[in-house]
Amino acid sequence: MANVGVLTGTPAKVARPHARQRAPMRWVVLGLLLLLLAFTLFPFFLALINAVKPGPDYLRGGPLSIPTSIQFDSIIKFWGQADYSRKLLNSVIISASVSVLAVIISLFNAYALGIGRVRGSTIILAILLLGTMVPQESIVYPIYWMAKSVGLYDTQLAVIIVLAVLQSAFGTYLLSSVMSTFPREILEAAEIDGASRWQVLTLVVVPIMQPTLMVLGTFFFIWTWNEFLIPVIMLISNNNQTVSVAMGLTRGQNMSDPTLQAAAGLLGIAPTVIFFLIFQRTLTRGIVAGAVK
Amino acid sequence: MTTTLPRLALAAVSALTLMSSAALAQGTTFNIWWFEGAESAQGLTWTKALEELKANHPDVTVNFEQKTFDQMQQSGSMILNSAEAPDILEYNKGNATAGLVASQGLLTNLDEAFTAEGWDKILNEGQLVLSRYDELGVYGSGSIWGISTYGEYVSAYYNIDAFEKAGVKVPTTLEELTAAFDVFKAQGVTPLALGGASTSGQHLLASLAYTKADDNWVNNYQGLKAPLDGAPYLYAAQTLTDWLAKGYITKDSTGMNDDDAALQFTSGQSPVYVSGTWNLGNFSANIKDFKWGQFVIPTPKFSVGSTGNLWVIPKGSKSPELAREFISLLLSTKYQTEQANNGGVSFGADAAQVTNPVGANASAVFKQIADKQGLGFYPDWPVPGFYDVLNQKDTGLLQGTLTPEQFVDEIKTVYDDAQASQ
Repeated sequence: MANVGVLTGTPAKVARPHARQRAPMRWVVLGLLLLLLAFTLFPFFLALINAVKPGPDYLRGGPLSIPTSIQFDSIIKFWGQADYSRKLLNSVIISASVSVLAVIISLFNAYALGIGRVRGSTIILAILLLGTMVPQESIVYPIYWMAKSVGLYDTQLAVIIVLAVLQSAFGTYLLSSVMSTFPREILEAAEIDGASRWQVLTLVVVPIMQPTLMVLGTFFFIWTWNEFLIPVIMLISNNNQTVSVAMGLTRGQNMSDPTLQAAAGLLGIAPTVIFFLIFQRTLTRGIVAGAVK
Repeated sequence: MTTTLPRLALAAVSALTLMSSAALAQGTTFNIWWFEGAESAQGLTWTKALEELKANHPDVTVNFEQKTFDQMQQSGSMILNSAEAPDILEYNKGNATAGLVASQGLLTNLDEAFTAEGWDKILNEGQLVLSRYDELGVYGSGSIWGISTYGEYVSAYYNIDAFEKAGVKVPTTLEELTAAFDVFKAQGVTPLALGGASTSGQHLLASLAYTKADDNWVNNYQGLKAPLDGAPYLYAAQTLTDWLAKGYITKDSTGMNDDDAALQFTSGQSPVYVSGTWNLGNFSANIKDFKWGQFVIPTPKFSVGSTGNLWVIPKGSKSPELAREFISLLLSTKYQTEQANNGGVSFGADAAQVTNPVGANASAVFKQIADKQGLGFYPDWPVPGFYDVLNQKDTGLLQGTLTPEQFVDEIKTVYDDAQASQ
């Protein structure tokens, strides 16, 4: 019995220091993560409390003070002034179109460059990659002239075309590198079965690449959503403008309205957050799919 | 993907068709844009005047669009150079903006309208300096390309309650101002809120420089006519470092922007804040805890300030007559008075009708400055990019990395380079 006691006692004694060692580490990690979470959420929190803070409250206590009362005036005001429903619709139309169009262009390009054999494909890819590094400010003027000469100035179509092309440069590069590692056996098997190039693309490549394409599309959507310079240059009429351009309403020449700015910030991030929550699973799936293969 | 792609593509196609429905309005339309905030004195007044214009012309469809300052800065000249330009719009004054588009031939010349519409009876030459641009787009001479209907100037906002409590009266000389600062300092209050990294920093600096500036200096400085005579700036820089050493300004102000500095004033921490009349609307609406007023920084003649942004009529305006009528409305005593009552700085308000003390005072002060031709304009105007240079060097001065002498040397280098290469 004593032996048993010793036997059962020792492992427990051995196990305990382990548990003790692990427990504090866990707490430290948890603490760090919580801290990181607090850091990440802090801007959201600031936007939220200032969006519902009355103006005089802000002028008395600044951005960090807790509002004495809650009001939704700033949010309602911004929504009304910016005609926000319209801007939301515009942003959704532009972002969705760009993301679909850019994915399609990237897919076609990458199919040719990554799977097909194009002479000088590395150089083409390098040029495309260089293209993504050109600052937008430097291409704004030519784009403006081109759009004006074909009568697309101040249309959303112009923004969609420009952004779809710009983003597909990066998409082509990314998809080509993924496709260059595409298992040749599958392609050859399909060819032996008599599949045309188009059929290989639509029936073999696209279904296998689908997670990656979805991730790419999601990124394109979010990037386009946050795009500022090209929409502000190309979309003149208020009815054509996007959410990010509407944010400018809160900043005047010399003045800004902090509570209105917070309201705009809150309304501006909300759609991206919602979009992210919806497509969160696609994103992780895509990343995991890439990692395993 | 095979199922979602076509569906998404369909959505994209339907989206494209939606876009092509750009309204091709029939009949007479009048398109007007401005970027002043909807609740600013200007925004309120202009909205009201536009209502009257609509009532006077029931057959005209009036399309107003609220623009943003950013947008007009980014793409103003591109818009004016396209068929998408409105019939009249507010445009930022100055060489780099209104001057540029005037010199590019994108605006309608207003010389004839100026006398025909009787604007010459309301505006004096001092209020036209920024309306005139020469062939190179430099303000001050040449034809009239735009009309401003309001003014702006930099002054000291002060907390009347705090001044009364401390037994300090409104200073009329620089000595009285520093004496007032001393009283507050002795009570443990930092008297002056300053956005050292922002507009109010360089405006204070320029205001101090203008205490040592005469006509000749200001004309040379703003006209880029001679290498910079650094004496007024040296005095300003020395005064500022002196104020910092004495604790009139907090050491934190080096990295502070105007919003934060204004917050120090509105929260009652600092009783004085030097900034422009663009704060009037915000302060009137939101300061509830104390009474506040303005005084002009005592200078012999010049104050930092100018006429406001311009109304310009694009070259391709389809309704220039209506545009002129709108400017006439804004310049009329009725809307000038209205503007003052909204807390704005008016040129031609009927003083007896102005009930808003803020607007009445601001308009009176502006008139005083303008009548003695004392608008010294803004310090960053003469040289492109000077705004950032001044902010940067101002911050260096406040941080102590630049001595006043070095400060003057460094801005002089930039200024003289621009002056020599013009």
